[in-house]
Amino acid sequence: MTSPQHIDPSQISEQATIKVPNWKSDAKPFVQIENITKKFDDFTAVDNISLDIYKNELFCLLGGSGSGKSTLLRMLAGFEAPTSGRILIDGVDMAGIQPWNRPVNMMFQSYALFPHLTVAENVAFGLKREGVRGAEVKKRVAEMLDLVQLGHLGKRKPNQLSGGQRQRVALARSLIKRPKLLLLDEPLGALDKKLREETQFELINIQDELGVTFVVVTHDQEEAMTLASRIGVMNHGVIVQTDEPQDVYEYPNSRFVAEFIGSVNLFEGQVTVDEPDTVCVTSPEAGAELCVNHGISCAPNQDVHVAVRPEKIRVTENRPDQKYNCVQGTILDIAYMGSLSVFKVKLASGKEVRVTQPNTNRESGGRFTWDDNVYLSWDMDSCVVLTS
Amino acid sequence: MSTSKIAWINDSYGKMTKYNFFSRVNWGRFSVVSVPYLWLAIFFFIPFVVVFKISLSEAAIAVPPYTPILDWNLEEAYVTLKLSLSNYLFLLEDDFYLSAYLSSIKVAAISTFFTLLVAFPIAYLMARSEGSMRALLLALVILPFWTSFLLRVYAWMGLLKKNGLINETLMSMGLIDQPLIMMQTDFAVYIGIVYTYLPFMVLPLYSALEKMDMTLLEAAEDLGARPYQSFFLITLPLAMPGVIAGCLLVFIPAVGEFVIPALLGGSDTLMIGRVLWDEFFLNRDWPMASAVAVVMLIILVLPIMLIRNSQGKEGAV
Amino acid sequence: MTIKKALTLSVCSVLLAGNAVASDKVLNIYNWSDYIEPEAVSRFEKETGIKVNYDVYDSNEVLEAKLMAGGSGYDLVVPTGAFLERQLQAGIYSKIDKSKLTNLANLDAALVEKISKHDEGNLHNVPYAWGTIGLGYNVDAVKARLGDMEFDTLDLIFNPEVTAKLKDCGIGVLDSPAEVMSIAQNYAGVDPNSESKADLKKGAEVLEKVRGDYKYFHSGKYISDLANGDVCVALGYNGDILQAQSRAEEAGQGVNISYAIPKEGTLIWFDLMAIPADAPHPEAAHKFIDYVLKGETAAGISNYVYYAVPNKAAEPLLNEDVISNPGIYPSDAVKAKLFAQKAHTARFDRLLTRTWVNIKTGR
Repeated sequence: MTSPQHIDPSQISEQATIKVPNWKSDAKPFVQIENITKKFDDFTAVDNISLDIYKNELFCLLGGSGSGKSTLLRMLAGFEAPTSGRILIDGVDMAGIQPWNRPVNMMFQSYALFPHLTVAENVAFGLKREGVRGAEVKKRVAEMLDLVQLGHLGKRKPNQLSGGQRQRVALARSLIKRPKLLLLDEPLGALDKKLREETQFELINIQDELGVTFVVVTHDQEEAMTLASRIGVMNHGVIVQTDEPQDVYEYPNSRFVAEFIGSVNLFEGQVTVDEPDTVCVTSPEAGAELCVNHGISCAPNQDVHVAVRPEKIRVTENRPDQKYNCVQGTILDIAYMGSLSVFKVKLASGKEVRVTQPNTNRESGGRFTWDDNVYLSWDMDSCVVLTS
Repeated sequence: MSTSKIAWINDSYGKMTKYNFFSRVNWGRFSVVSVPYLWLAIFFFIPFVVVFKISLSEAAIAVPPYTPILDWNLEEAYVTLKLSLSNYLFLLEDDFYLSAYLSSIKVAAISTFFTLLVAFPIAYLMARSEGSMRALLLALVILPFWTSFLLRVYAWMGLLKKNGLINETLMSMGLIDQPLIMMQTDFAVYIGIVYTYLPFMVLPLYSALEKMDMTLLEAAEDLGARPYQSFFLITLPLAMPGVIAGCLLVFIPAVGEFVIPALLGGSDTLMIGRVLWDEFFLNRDWPMASAVAVVMLIILVLPIMLIRNSQGKEGAV
Repeated sequence: MTIKKALTLSVCSVLLAGNAVASDKVLNIYNWSDYIEPEAVSRFEKETGIKVNYDVYDSNEVLEAKLMAGGSGYDLVVPTGAFLERQLQAGIYSKIDKSKLTNLANLDAALVEKISKHDEGNLHNVPYAWGTIGLGYNVDAVKARLGDMEFDTLDLIFNPEVTAKLKDCGIGVLDSPAEVMSIAQNYAGVDPNSESKADLKKGAEVLEKVRGDYKYFHSGKYISDLANGDVCVALGYNGDILQAQSRAEEAGQGVNISYAIPKEGTLIWFDLMAIPADAPHPEAAHKFIDYVLKGETAAGISNYVYYAVPNKAAEPLLNEDVISNPGIYPSDAVKAKLFAQKAHTARFDRLLTRTWVNIKTGR
């Protein structure tokens, strides 16, 4: 990883193959969130959100702190009552249904393991509340602990476990009741980076195996990208964009989404050509005409932004043979990151553009040096026009 | 530095290291650690030894009013040590003392239970409320300590008596025709003890509950526990150290309580504090009074040590 | 007996520890609370130049505990007769040098004679004040329940037929086993000072029959309770009941308290000045005793505390409402029926205490 903002494309393609795209079928949504608003005094935490989540999905609510994602999750769990709007789970209106009566379980960010109970007792807690007793409890707890590979630690207390083990106990505990819907609040947040990478795939495997619908809340776009079948990007109590991870990355619908997920170069400009499958923008900032091969709905001469990801830009010594999407600048800074190099290129307008180039062979890192005059270019289908 | 004070020892790497015991003893730490022990020795152990010694003598009309247990005569060269166990035997023979102990323990246990019942919601509310509200509640709990304990008990007499505030209010509201008899009853004793010792229960409970992560309750509810189940399965077990500490802080002084039963209780409230008083002042039998006190201490200390022991083991896991 | 007294005790010991510097210009007095005209002490200080440390107690038991522990530091104490009698056996008092007392002749010889039962030859004491234990009652409340009758009878607290009628308005009795049992034994027709088990049983039977009608046994509460109307009959000290009377008058709530010496006879008690054997300032103590023996001083005390003083020279100086109050200065005919309580043996004390606890707790 070059930076926290950067996405390794290999991971994106991997997750995409796992998912069954339920939301594309005519299936009835499993969770229906209809015009939900939540106000705390005069602060609106969640602002008129409507969202459908389908069976077997692993839906990620992604947003910064204060974006309202946790409040939305807590309303699903029943810890907060919506100010207006309603939530249906499996067709049942959840209004007035207490947390202990909902077909929903939650894995807490802090794990919230009961410190006075052993691992096995923690996991058995939910089962016992259902009235399950004796051998049945033992059997199911053992199964669940085996699933999270903690079969040997049942007698320990939570404070005798490592962070990763605790996370798995929390997961086992929230899954034992076989909930239709599992809510996960920053499930990997408390783990160190290496453990996080291991665990996220485990989580996907378990979700796949059990066929439970997951709703994950996270502020970490990388985590969302890796885990999710779909991502809902939240900002100021509103879901800005809901899409598959790849689409959120490749086709952000706003500057906020483009900048929140991964890093991006934005060029301001005015629309000059507006056709159904081509839009061209004149950008004084870029000093060139920028064109994309998709249509947008906008007025002529409207101010828009063209967004292009750093890894989609080619760096060449000579001007490439293309009419559009080609700008000139000088290299301001180079960072060699091993698998790739990051260039900071200053355009004539003073705008700095960020470019990453894979180091496909040993010499490729050393092709350019500081103050070199270079051309940056990209394809029409590599960038998007953003109207907001 | 003399060589005798220097020892050669193996350090953790197996190397021989010069080691000076005197310079390695941490005198600062030693003095800090020894303060509570010194306190215990001066204010608990020595008085206890004195009381225990008196309990082994016999009453006499003299100053002090008991026989010496150690007697010597240098000219005739003898020393006699006379330890009288008769006080303890008498304690065992006479079921009066047993019933006084039992009745004290009963009163203390019931009061402790009700103190816990009253204190828990207060402590819970304190632990749950925010900044200024929490400070206010804390102040309300501690504030009564700023006035004299006796004054507060007398205030209760004013509230509880026949033509006191409670009766007057209830009668003027038409809820009762006859004044309720509350003074000189066990009820008044319980009220007095619960009221007086409430802070001793609230504070340890508060400190235990305050440490509790409130998301644990959400987790329990999420797993299907109703609020009362969350309380008994999560809150109560986690507050247990506070519950135990608070109960001990209330129970122990309540067993020996003398003033509250004397002021608020009826004449038929038999408590060990009163028995002690009678032995000391009416029978003028200091040795017997001491024996009563020693036995009371043993009755109280043994269960506490057992509880502490079991807690210690739990903590070590 | 409350913690208040215990606190007084400990505060005093702290004060005295600081003041125990031997000097004849200092006098440490330990007397009953509210038992002296306040100006009397300052007048003494002015006359003699002796600085008085004046501490108070509320019970003989507290005084005794202090004295018996030894090293109290007091120069002058005022125990009640039976207590002095027993304490003499422990040898804690020094003899009083009567030659130093110029006003000794003022004492009432008849009373001094009675006191010699406690202290053979009266070598160790000079009487301070005396009084009776009797009945305080709320005139209107009792009259309403019993009709017109003379109330100077122990039936008010010992006759079950009477106490049953008074139960609802409240009966309070001193929590003082030796004194109350003496009166009960006397009421039962046996020697009030008898230590025989059978006589004690007779006294106890009197109390057991009526115990259920009592509101409480307590040695101080009846003062305010009588005045407030919380109890309507109390067996207590005459001075206390007269205090309740004046409090009730001041309150103006229409509570009318009266004191009666029961016709069956009751206890007379004497509070006696005595000098502890280890008193640091015996000279000053003698001076103070002689000062109290003055007619003016004694009259001032009696007028203030509403207790009788055994002082002939004081009589002309007493206020009219004091000297003519039969509750304070009873007639000779009534005086003849009064008996003093002797000190008991330790064995009997234990038996008495147990009997008393059994009566109180209804065991």
